[in-house]
Amino acid sequence: MSMSYSFRLAFQSIIRDKWVNLLAVLTIAAGLLFTAVTVLTVFNVNLITREIPKKFSVNVYLKENLQKQEIDNITATIKKEPSVENIKFIPKEDAWKELKSSLKNTEYILEGLNENPLPDTLEIKLKKDSINPDAVKKISTMLKQIKGVSEIEYGEKFLSSIYSLSLGIKTIGLTLIIIMSAGTLFVCYSTVKILFYRKNREIETYKFLGATKWFIRFPFLIEGATIGLCGGFLGLLGLLILYYFVLLKVGSTFPIFSSFVFPLNMSYLLPATGFVLGVIGAVIAIGRIRY
Amino acid sequence: MITFENVSKFYDNQTALRKISFSVERGEMAFITGPSGSGKTTMLKLIYMAEKADEGRINVNDMELSQLRESDVPVLRKNIGIVFQDFRLLDNINVFENVAIALRIRGVDEREVKSKVFDALKLVSLRHKTDSYPTALSGGEQQRVAIARAIVSEPVIILADEPTGNVDPDTSAGIIRTFKEINARGTTILLATHNRELFKNSGKRVLKLDFGNFAGEEIG
Repeated sequence: MSMSYSFRLAFQSIIRDKWVNLLAVLTIAAGLLFTAVTVLTVFNVNLITREIPKKFSVNVYLKENLQKQEIDNITATIKKEPSVENIKFIPKEDAWKELKSSLKNTEYILEGLNENPLPDTLEIKLKKDSINPDAVKKISTMLKQIKGVSEIEYGEKFLSSIYSLSLGIKTIGLTLIIIMSAGTLFVCYSTVKILFYRKNREIETYKFLGATKWFIRFPFLIEGATIGLCGGFLGLLGLLILYYFVLLKVGSTFPIFSSFVFPLNMSYLLPATGFVLGVIGAVIAIGRIRY
Repeated sequence: MITFENVSKFYDNQTALRKISFSVERGEMAFITGPSGSGKTTMLKLIYMAEKADEGRINVNDMELSQLRESDVPVLRKNIGIVFQDFRLLDNINVFENVAIALRIRGVDEREVKSKVFDALKLVSLRHKTDSYPTALSGGEQQRVAIARAIVSEPVIILADEPTGNVDPDTSAGIIRTFKEINARGTTILLATHNRELFKNSGKRVLKLDFGNFAGEEIG
């Protein structure tokens, strides 16, 4: 069997059953589009929540009247901890100035305070993978035991909330993606199956005339792959239109949308998924060819 | 070429064929006859393995069918040209392509396909219908396309199930003449028909079936 004959059979069939095939292409495109929108949303929301911990720090308040050497020793001890990214020393004078500037219009709050009540502080930034409630609690316990450390503050509740939110988004997103993918797979499979179910008699005739399994399968696989690929490209086109609409139109009203990112690998993942869906649909729909 | 030894076939509790034994020699042309439901079509289906025998042995072109692996079924069928009772033409392709399928399945070179298809269509007097689609043809014409498809690859065996079922007596005689010509080239032909006129005075062997039982043979 020549390949060109298989391709000719496949494309003749695509053109002949153009309306049913168009329906299959649209179904695959819609399914992929919905799944891709879910993936894109989850991806972006996850990206935003991942940015928040970058602002997270652990503040180590030092005891009064420590010598520079003692502060250096404390800094060196903390630096040895593998989860620490960097340490910044904030002298009590700087902290006092910053507090004053942040209370510009409500300075009266500080009236009556004759001297600076703030302690010297070490601001510790942790490595990304160490920013979770358990790890921070552990390091905080360790820091408390260092001689010269007065108090530790890291916004325990804030960290827990962010961590839960991020975890929640991941879980809900993953669940949504699984549901959407399963739905898309089922709808695409059903459509392609209906498409090929109509060809049962054709397949049987080929078998009776002496055709090998691959002679029968190959044109159908090409047909399924082409339909899937077209569906994938159409889905991608829809996604790009939707993305630029969100970015340009919605983004101007709600600035958070203007930072939405379109992962480049979507542009080949979508057609590739369509291709695979079409082939799988065709393989399942043709089923095992028995003589 | 074709041998049945005590072959039986059952469908649920119905007996389609009961202990049938006969043989058709290489290069012979023979008829199977009997009323509707006598088992003619089942007998042909057993030969090209659309059905499997429940009892007995069948040998076709030196292949023992009960021993045949699934992957060898296409090999068996490539040696057989079949004219189906319901023609089994593909409505979505034209007459030329319908006939050419038999050659393409056998991997015949595209340059040869054209001339062979035209020769076969000429033999059944349908050369002028090359570009027509099966749905645009009469029943008789469709039957002749099915015959052209069965003969085009020059198989060693031709099985024809009621090949004149939809044609007038003149065309019918023409079809039988075509089969005789093909048979004269050495092709083994087995024709199933309930029409006695087809084999009357043919000088060919006629195997008779009666509700699944072998009812003897005669010379037509």
